[in-house]
Amino acid sequence: MIKVTNLTVKYKDLVAVDSISFEVKKGEIFGIIGPNGAGKTSAIECLEGLKKSSGGEASVMGINPANRRELYEYIGVQLQEASFPDSIKVKELCKLFSSFYKNPADYNALLERFNLADKKNAYVKKLSGGQRQKISVVVALIANPQIIFLDELTTGLDPQARIDMWELIKSLRDEGKTILMTTHFMEEAEYLCDRVCLMVKSRIAAIGTVKELVEQAQLSQKISFTSKKPDREALKGIPGITKITENNGVFDLYGNGRNLLRDVVLYITEKNIDFEDLSCSKPGLEDVFLKLTGYRLEAVI
Amino acid sequence: MKAFLAMSVTEFRLSIRNFVYMFFAFVFPPMMLLLFGAIYGNDPTPFYNGHGAVDVLTPAYIGMILAVSGIMGLPMQLAEYRQHKVLKRFKATPISTGTIMIPHFVVNSVLCIIGTFILMIVGKLVFNLHFSGNIFYFIVAYVLSMTSIFSIGFLIAAIAPNNRAASAIAYLIYFPMLFLSGAMMPLQLMPKAIVTLSRFIPLTYCVEILQGTWMGDPLSAFGKAIIVLAVIAVVCTGVSIKIFRWE
Repeated sequence: MIKVTNLTVKYKDLVAVDSISFEVKKGEIFGIIGPNGAGKTSAIECLEGLKKSSGGEASVMGINPANRRELYEYIGVQLQEASFPDSIKVKELCKLFSSFYKNPADYNALLERFNLADKKNAYVKKLSGGQRQKISVVVALIANPQIIFLDELTTGLDPQARIDMWELIKSLRDEGKTILMTTHFMEEAEYLCDRVCLMVKSRIAAIGTVKELVEQAQLSQKISFTSKKPDREALKGIPGITKITENNGVFDLYGNGRNLLRDVVLYITEKNIDFEDLSCSKPGLEDVFLKLTGYRLEAVI
Repeated sequence: MKAFLAMSVTEFRLSIRNFVYMFFAFVFPPMMLLLFGAIYGNDPTPFYNGHGAVDVLTPAYIGMILAVSGIMGLPMQLAEYRQHKVLKRFKATPISTGTIMIPHFVVNSVLCIIGTFILMIVGKLVFNLHFSGNIFYFIVAYVLSMTSIFSIGFLIAAIAPNNRAASAIAYLIYFPMLFLSGAMMPLQLMPKAIVTLSRFIPLTYCVEILQGTWMGDPLSAFGKAIIVLAVIAVVCTGVSIKIFRWE
């Protein structure tokens, strides 16, 4: 659906997007993840035909995004920080955008689906943040798009509104829409995206499914438990464990391997080591990011 | 066409909801006319070369309506749309840039015309307003004045970095322009220095041709004013299109 080859975006001397390449397949949710200023918005706006590329190629459903008016017959977008006129009502806004398309979707049905049917006569500016973001998705869907672009859709929303939005985005994917989204929430990417690309300093640092990225990064799992009568030396014998730390009776074991947790449990049971509060934490996207960049994404936002 | 119409209807609705704009376009000019009409009446006086005060003030106040729309309404709308990325959002649809921009000009023109009719109706009902010119000449003067003033508004929208700057520039230009152009008070009442200064104010030329053609002078009597307004219109529109930023 989308094919990007060595795409570059420059503002004067600043390189915002540095020769990135990726593909988005039909029916998937593809996420561009990275800290603010990584070039996510520049990249997505280039594909939306709103920014000029300085090099490389991009094609969205076979259309060069520079052909803006042709492109927008097939795509729907939500723009970061874009709002609607101050004193417009929800219904007026939907009617207006319906007039832009040859075959607009039925906005009444969309408002119903997004739980906004009772807000039809409300002013857009009087809606809550979450409702406003829903309206911007409704407006994107009026286009009857095959691809939906979402740029930082859930930034600034409270947790409940964010989770509602996730379900809505999933339901759009389930009915066959292709979605390209940017986010700086790792959780969101892990939950929603079929594939992700990590963007750091204008470049793509990694690309694939979340599982693939975690495997590629060869990150350790962490298994923790408390023990009153530990035998630290004995613990060293567990296959796959590479590092052990202890703090006030809490033991953290690090290691790799598909059956690491089973091996640990078998081993400590066999050796009669008492244990309580056993937990296992698997590495996630956040840890991949940390390994690739040397810092935590949460720390820079 | 469907989109153009929908954009125009929407912009019209949004303008009507702007209280300040509606006050200065529809209420303030008739209010001024009622006030000064009550003081001076509309009997012919030698001060106005045998015309009534209301007959002379009405075309000047029409200039005031054009200035409200062109200098305040238009640039403030466009600057706000740019600041809040509404223009950008419209660009993210299949409509042409003309369909995004032209309705602003159309709607503000329509609002000017409505304001003008309200003013004339009040003048006619209360002071028995007379029009003693050639209607065709007057319409030409009206359209030229409007085009010229709107092009200045477009330039303000193009130059202003954000909507605060746009409203600051708009207010800074609008009020002095009203006082120094004869749109508010006849220039005959002003000291000589102000009259000299008024020659540098575009609205002065609008008031001149609107008043002149209203009173019965032919367009040919205003060669200089017409050239000044036409040059302003062409230059401001050209520069604005060249430097206008969408975000």
